[in-house]
Amino acid sequence: MTEQSEMIPTGDNRMLDEVHSDRKITWLEKALGTENYRIVKGLLKTPASVVGFILILIFVLIAIFAPVIMPPVDKDPYKMPRDGYSGEPKAPGAVWTRKVPDVPFWYEPLTGKTEMTHVLGTTQGQYDILYGIVWGTRTAFKTGLLVVAVTVTVGVVLGSIAAYYGGWVDNIIMRITDIFMTLPYIMMALIFSAVLTPILGRSLWPPLIAMISFGWMGYARVIRSDILSIKERDFVLAAKVSGVKKNRILFKHVLPNAIFPTLVLASLGIGDVVLGFAALSFLGIGTDVGYADWGQILSFARNWITNLDRYWYIVVFPGLTLTLFVMGWNLVGDAMRDILDPRMRGKS
Amino acid sequence: MHNNDEVLVRVEDLKVHFPIYRGVIRRQVGAVKAVDGVSFEIHKGETLGLVGESGCGKTTTGRAIVQLYKPTAGHIYFRDIDLVALKEEPMRLMRQNIQMIFQDPYASLNPRMTVRDIVAEPLVAFGLATGKELDDRVRELLDLVRLDPDFMHRFPHEFSGGQRQRIGIARSLALNPDFIVCDEPISALDVSIQAQIVNLFEDLQKDLDLTYLFIAHDLSMVRHISNRVAVMYLGIIVELADRNEIYENPLHPYTQALLSAIPVPDPEHYRKRSRIVMEGDVPSPVNPPSGCRFRTRCPKADQECEKGRPDFREVLPGHFVECFKVELPAHLKEVTTEENR
Amino acid sequence: MTNYIIRRLLMVPLLLIGVTLIIFGMLQLLGPVERSALYVKDFPKNDKQIQGIITRYGLDEPFLKQYGIWLFGVKDPFSGKRDGGILFGDFGYSRTASQDVIDIVKNRFPNTVDLALWTIYPMLSVGVWLGVKAAVNQNKFIDQAARVYSIIGTSFPTFVFGLLLLMLLYAGPQWFLPGKMSDWVSKLVFSGELKQYTHLLSIDALLNLRFDIFVDALRHMVMPILTLSYINWATYVRVTRSSMLETLRMDYVTTARAKGLSEKTVINEHARPNAMLPIVTMAGSSIVGLLGGVVITETVFNYPGIGKAAADAAAQLDVVTVLGLAIFSGSILIVSNLVVDVIYAFIDPRVRLA
Repeated sequence: MTEQSEMIPTGDNRMLDEVHSDRKITWLEKALGTENYRIVKGLLKTPASVVGFILILIFVLIAIFAPVIMPPVDKDPYKMPRDGYSGEPKAPGAVWTRKVPDVPFWYEPLTGKTEMTHVLGTTQGQYDILYGIVWGTRTAFKTGLLVVAVTVTVGVVLGSIAAYYGGWVDNIIMRITDIFMTLPYIMMALIFSAVLTPILGRSLWPPLIAMISFGWMGYARVIRSDILSIKERDFVLAAKVSGVKKNRILFKHVLPNAIFPTLVLASLGIGDVVLGFAALSFLGIGTDVGYADWGQILSFARNWITNLDRYWYIVVFPGLTLTLFVMGWNLVGDAMRDILDPRMRGKS
Repeated sequence: MHNNDEVLVRVEDLKVHFPIYRGVIRRQVGAVKAVDGVSFEIHKGETLGLVGESGCGKTTTGRAIVQLYKPTAGHIYFRDIDLVALKEEPMRLMRQNIQMIFQDPYASLNPRMTVRDIVAEPLVAFGLATGKELDDRVRELLDLVRLDPDFMHRFPHEFSGGQRQRIGIARSLALNPDFIVCDEPISALDVSIQAQIVNLFEDLQKDLDLTYLFIAHDLSMVRHISNRVAVMYLGIIVELADRNEIYENPLHPYTQALLSAIPVPDPEHYRKRSRIVMEGDVPSPVNPPSGCRFRTRCPKADQECEKGRPDFREVLPGHFVECFKVELPAHLKEVTTEENR
Repeated sequence: MTNYIIRRLLMVPLLLIGVTLIIFGMLQLLGPVERSALYVKDFPKNDKQIQGIITRYGLDEPFLKQYGIWLFGVKDPFSGKRDGGILFGDFGYSRTASQDVIDIVKNRFPNTVDLALWTIYPMLSVGVWLGVKAAVNQNKFIDQAARVYSIIGTSFPTFVFGLLLLMLLYAGPQWFLPGKMSDWVSKLVFSGELKQYTHLLSIDALLNLRFDIFVDALRHMVMPILTLSYINWATYVRVTRSSMLETLRMDYVTTARAKGLSEKTVINEHARPNAMLPIVTMAGSSIVGLLGGVVITETVFNYPGIGKAAADAAAQLDVVTVLGLAIFSGSILIVSNLVVDVIYAFIDPRVRLA
């Protein structure tokens, strides 16, 4: 036997007492995955995001219970009821005479009156503002969720293809993304909406399609860069060495670990989409006059610029609603971003 | 040397170059020559240690062998099948024989998967077992690496570094491979744990008849586990010999310098041995020095070393060196070509 | 460095082609009849005339051929002169504005530039200043206030904010006014008394030494500037704050303090310049965005810029105008992005080597 080296590892094969955690894993953690569980816990701890959640919850409730809160008058509940056709807006508290809805359950206890009034006033053309706000919540959710869902899907698909196949495929997809990103969002949404309206008619669809067409790029970029970095991680290489097929690696290893920043963007995105849609409505693109949509109501204010101090309620009520809605999503999204940022991790 | 002379893995003139693009149209202006002509054989049942400084190309070699990197040139024969020439699916099938253990126990396990899923994945990938049979096999594997099988429903972050490395080892054993490339498997672990893991490696090798390529930069640990050792510098192998031979009789100046740098706890011995100090920094692998690559840092270099690369020749039985300046100890005679074993 | 500029320049034609293709694609969604408005001023009444126009301008030809015609125009068979063509500045005729689209651009774009000019400094300075203050005084009152502001600010829709401003500052007290100029000013401009050197009202007023006009111009711009700025302030506060916090954590800042430098020096000379890098990129985008035509703000305040022109045309479904303005905006954006990227490469050496 030749000379042994100076450092002789112990021949003892017993496993030393290594530390491992006895932490209980709840069913929720198993269901969500550890990363996501940590995020949810973090969100529930941050006061800002709790406020955000509450706001969102309030809006969800309003949307769900819209028919009960402000019973519809017309066959199409999204048509705001008009109390006459006069051009002069009525102040909050004015009596509601024509096309009066059934008195909702909360009305009498809250206001002490038995006859229906315009609680928040009317716009020119006598559209009831409260009605518009309540049913506009449904519009906001409909449009926001739809646009975000589609843009995220499109963006993720394109970004994943670009990242995973690389080469010229990547190049082409990224150039296209660059070109789309050069164009100003609102202007392009406006323009495309205007182009589509003669073809599709005046409805929600032109602005929705327009917003989708120009809203996917951010997601494509983010998912692509995340996939590129995850692709090189050891556990992905290990899966390859273990003989896992390429497609399965993408779906089981790469995407689940890469998707989270994208989801953060998406949650913030709902707020932005609703803002954008309201802006388009405000400019007169998209929904018909009288459709229950916050931007639509606000567009009436354009006619009364010189007298806005008198007709303040046309601006303040829908504006406040819109702001609170967006703020709810932004609070949650911001908190999520803080939690996901690895540099902030030490702080919680 | 080994009883079993069957050559399991033969690497022939392996080159892995990573191109560098510059300029307006992104033409290739050069390449990082991470691995620049490496050849060796590994016999069944043996452990070949591969050592060298950071950046010498040893990890790239290991990954190229497992086809995680596509070799720029050369051949890698596994039982006479050239892996480089294989297309994607045949290579995937070959992976049942060739596995890899990674260096970083924190990065090599998918944080969202349970231990069971991680260890079972190779079996699932080839459809080798399902359901209860799969679970049983996972338990068996965890047992082999001395982890409590009841932990299989936990997530990686609940384990220590050493335990995670064991999970990685269990995963690599799932397909009953013949050959495992171990890429610095203990470098990221605490010293006390390193010893356990190395022992585990040895026991597994004995019990399962495994062949290892053991990549590391800790020379003393490599000495313990390897049968033969290859020393790499700047993309090439400069010396290859039996384990004991290389530690007692290093012939290449680089090996000599590396060994002389190993800390020795015995003060007497420390004072007695001569310390060889290398000058300068490691040159860039984009532009290795002409002639002998080591000449810019070699204490023995002279003009002869600028002329061309030395041959990688068998100077003593089983002992290969690439150097012009080999000095044999007096009592040994150089092997001439006719006397080649 | 030159490599980077050349590569960046080469991207420009590619982007332009891409943008024009997209716009053109949208145009093709309309039928040939509507598209004939691209080329003629008065809309012809009978079918024969319409068909004649369609044939003459090749409006029913295959896609690529039409793309070429749209870019280069056609040769008038009688006079031999070129007729139409985007590349030659003929963006078509606007039925809603009763003028050539290119004239709309000439009249309105300088106003947008004027507004952008005066917005840049307020937009960038306040947000950054507040962000730095918040980071330096982390978790104290000013930090909390800044964070609250940044949340509220980014949630507040621009047009609502604009309407509120109008409500508070105009409808009642009439301190600041919407639109671009008061009646007496426009009389001066149209009569030619005010010499138009730059076509930017505020600058021209100064150059003519008419400070009363200058003040009037500014009075009209205060509200749009505030509206454009406040949302940027909110964003910049957040980004500056986090960038500054990260920089303050760095070792070289601790070293600077350990060397005995005053806190003020540490912050102003060591931390802040490095924290500013991400801000500079954002600033570039913001400035470029201002030029792209701030549609909503201009519309709320009735400010006659490119953005409002587009909004007006869109509301009346004047697609031709809208697309022509889009081409113009797109081109401006491509060019300004190029300028910003090159400047950024000068500032941050890491970009060049990427």
